[in-house]
Amino acid sequence: MISKRIAAALAGATTVSLLLVACGDNGGQSPASSGDSVKSLTILDYYNNDPDKSLVQKGLDSCASKLGITIQRETVPGDTLIQKVLQQASSKTLPDVLMLDNPDVQQIAATGALAPLNDMGLNSDGVIQGMVDATSYEGKLYGLAPVTNTIALFYNKDMLAEAGVQPPKTWDELKAASKKLTKPGRYGIAFNANATYEGSWQFLPAMWTNGGDETDLTSPQVAEALQLWVDLVKSGSASKSVINWTQGDAKDQFAAGKAAMMVNGPWQIPALEKTPNVKWDVVTFPLNKPDQTPVAPLGGEAWTVPLNKDQAKQQKAADFVKCLNSDENELAWAKARFTLPTKTALLDQYATEVPSMKAFAEQVKTARARTGKLGDKWPDAAKVIYQAIQLALTGKASAQDAFKQASGG
Amino acid sequence: MVTLTRTTVAGRAKSRGRRHRGETLTKILFVLPAVVAMVALFGYPVVKNLLMSLQDYGLKTFFTGVAPWVGLKNYSTVVTDKLFSDAMVNTALFTVGSIAFQFAIGLGLALFFHKKFPLSGLLRSLLLLPWLLPLIVSSATWRSILEQDSGILNRSLMGLHLINDPVPWLNSPSVALIAVIGVNIWIGIPFNVTLLYSGLAEIPDELYEAGQLDGATGWRSFWYITWPNLRAVASVLLMLGVVYTIKVLDIILGLTGGGPANATQTLATQSYEKSFVDFRFGQGAALSNILIAISFVFAIFYLRGTRRAVDE
Amino acid sequence: MMRRTAYTVIGVLILCVMLFPVYWMLNASLQPSGNTLTAGFLPLHPTFSGYKRALDEQGGNLVTSMIIAAGTVVLSLAIATPCAYALSQFRSRWVSVGLLAILISQMIPGIVIANALYTAYERIGLLNSIPGLIVANCSNAIPFAILILRSFMLSVPPSLVEAARVDGAGLFRAFVAIVLPISKNSLITAGLFSFLFSWSDFLFALTLTTKGGVRPVTLGIYQYLGTQVQNWNAVMATAVLSAVPAIVLLIAAQKYIAAGAIGGAVK
Repeated sequence: MISKRIAAALAGATTVSLLLVACGDNGGQSPASSGDSVKSLTILDYYNNDPDKSLVQKGLDSCASKLGITIQRETVPGDTLIQKVLQQASSKTLPDVLMLDNPDVQQIAATGALAPLNDMGLNSDGVIQGMVDATSYEGKLYGLAPVTNTIALFYNKDMLAEAGVQPPKTWDELKAASKKLTKPGRYGIAFNANATYEGSWQFLPAMWTNGGDETDLTSPQVAEALQLWVDLVKSGSASKSVINWTQGDAKDQFAAGKAAMMVNGPWQIPALEKTPNVKWDVVTFPLNKPDQTPVAPLGGEAWTVPLNKDQAKQQKAADFVKCLNSDENELAWAKARFTLPTKTALLDQYATEVPSMKAFAEQVKTARARTGKLGDKWPDAAKVIYQAIQLALTGKASAQDAFKQASGG
Repeated sequence: MVTLTRTTVAGRAKSRGRRHRGETLTKILFVLPAVVAMVALFGYPVVKNLLMSLQDYGLKTFFTGVAPWVGLKNYSTVVTDKLFSDAMVNTALFTVGSIAFQFAIGLGLALFFHKKFPLSGLLRSLLLLPWLLPLIVSSATWRSILEQDSGILNRSLMGLHLINDPVPWLNSPSVALIAVIGVNIWIGIPFNVTLLYSGLAEIPDELYEAGQLDGATGWRSFWYITWPNLRAVASVLLMLGVVYTIKVLDIILGLTGGGPANATQTLATQSYEKSFVDFRFGQGAALSNILIAISFVFAIFYLRGTRRAVDE
Repeated sequence: MMRRTAYTVIGVLILCVMLFPVYWMLNASLQPSGNTLTAGFLPLHPTFSGYKRALDEQGGNLVTSMIIAAGTVVLSLAIATPCAYALSQFRSRWVSVGLLAILISQMIPGIVIANALYTAYERIGLLNSIPGLIVANCSNAIPFAILILRSFMLSVPPSLVEAARVDGAGLFRAFVAIVLPISKNSLITAGLFSFLFSWSDFLFALTLTTKGGVRPVTLGIYQYLGTQVQNWNAVMATAVLSAVPAIVLLIAAQKYIAAGAIGGAVK
């Protein structure tokens, strides 16, 4: 029995600390009867599209061969993942390893569907605080994200040079630059302010950098940030269509030369590389006042382990998640997929190796998780945010009143 | 015709007793497969949805199976929601606007294509093409057409000097609903044309020939011959139109997502949002039941109308 | 003759207006970016990369869609036609109950049905199967077909069937020999829409398949729309390609509808 347990630990992950194994024992659970008996794991994620799909597959395969198992992976389109998870939860057919967008982790963890990873020899040592916040619920770790991303300001080098504009560092500069860069058939800036969580996500750099907080959305700092969006649209520096644009639409505008700058994330880089005539660079999102620190929202997906009656399988799944979060895999995925490693120690090394990601690497260190403060109540706040943006940008409310109106006050 | 009827009545009387029992069985067999299919495909979901609307059915329920009974609380919550009355009005405008134009344009086109001219059949069947496009594709295409700055519609209208400033089709709360209705009309026209055309094709030419002798041409022939014969098809079409339009979801989600500033929220989009954005499935179910109830009222009116028509 | 040609011209113009969005999709499919932000009326610098990708990846999915749609037509008509006849000709108080039930069934949002079917399919092992998707698509097609067929069959004179019965035919044989042939128009119309419903179904395909084995083309298209990366070029190209076989069917069906109309004229 004991030797079996040791074998399980060894086969699972060579770095499992004895202390944690002991912890598991103290919990009174009978741990993995035999790690060797687990031959395969099922996996569900939403990287349904190449190049991500096959790049992720490579990482999964390498971990599978390390653990000596086979994997059955299912990928679904992004916006259908949660529905699929609910379906599978109700029929008790959740996969062994489940990928979740990081703001969803706490919500799903709150249902009691996920296994706490701390009990299975995993920890979040060295991971940036924002991501730890996102993947923890009531003090326990439920997921680990190998890579992360965030948003920053892309700009078209040629257009800025032609207009004699420097990449903006403050909101005033941003407004002035956008105005100057606007001409017939082209807007100064494109962003996403649509009525979805994506619209809220794009608003967060402005809101958080200015000291706004989701726990008090009626504060003047939040209103000021909204005023920035309103000013950009009202002055004609951004299209009125931003209220319907997705981040993909903003990228299309930028790639078509119809916007000189855009707020967007590094996942757009492969697409931008297909239009080599658009020369671009990235800077961190501008500050309202020069003494502020930029705070951007953390993106990226975490890998979790749904609770499983089969303890051995659950342990194997946890080992698999651990393997996905090895330094080696973090760097491999980050480089291949234009994302960022989540361990602080890896970020600097990464930024020097991939210069185009420098601005994002800087943003990530101070970035915040959307669920960091409100936990599973974040979606309610996010909804108020995007509705307030819609009210303000359509002129139905002033930036000062919009949040009050949207929160039903 | 008269003689035929008389013979059958006589024949029927003769054979009635002999066949009666076997015939009842045959009649049941006519409907049995459909009954089984309907119960299996619809009975269970409806009951489930009704029960769900009386429960606090949230994200957790899927994992734990626990959904406390809350009576009618979900209904009172959704009805008192500040968006409910807007959504009701939008649903009404969307449904009435879509159906009125779909039907009128559909009838016009069906009458037009009923005049047999070279290629009429080919052109008519090509009219169904929009139906072959996945909604995700047609709504993306329409979004690009209606785009305020670079959309082809505004570009063309400005090129023709019909408008001076680009119309904010999907960007203005006051225009977006009209634009969404317009796209839905476009999607619905092929359906209306095809059914009305088939209805027209069923009307025997003899009726028109006879009508012509009585001086019924043009409008009069439409009013006295076409319309009465088309009424059964038209009424089922309008009924289905209401039922289908009232629950339209994908097009609105694809075009505006209910925005801007909730200007295109309908009961269907609200129900979707409650269930799949807020994960308040009980409230979502309550809203969809309200939707079903409204359709139900229409269905009652429809059935009464057709029964009267039959009695006439 | 002049007048009829004029009608054709008007017809073509109407079609141009109605099908403009379809053309615009075609235009987008030939743009490298898959969108028409910078496109003129004509794709002057077309790229076929989207088509290449669609042809490489979606061929099997197209066949799957075809099989499912054809199966839906056959099954739904087989179930709906006798029922429609019964509801149009039998005198019974159950007729209006049946009609009401059918109408109610049309009011139920698809997602409600899809979720319920998922649970049931899971138990009986119909997930990820073509028969499973055919049955699910019948939930759209059957009630619709019953209503359409019934509204046409109301005009079938009962005397026709009675005449056959006098000649000794049973009810079922009379139905097959008399009612079905004269209902050809409406059968084709109902079948056509069953086909279209099934062809454009996305919801059931998404809900009732859990792995890649059985994948209709609507779901295949969706796979090009990643969470963050979207290949609109391939999406548009697949949409165009998937329309082609269906167009062929439409044109074929149209011939039958026209023939039926002429048949009606000489009857």
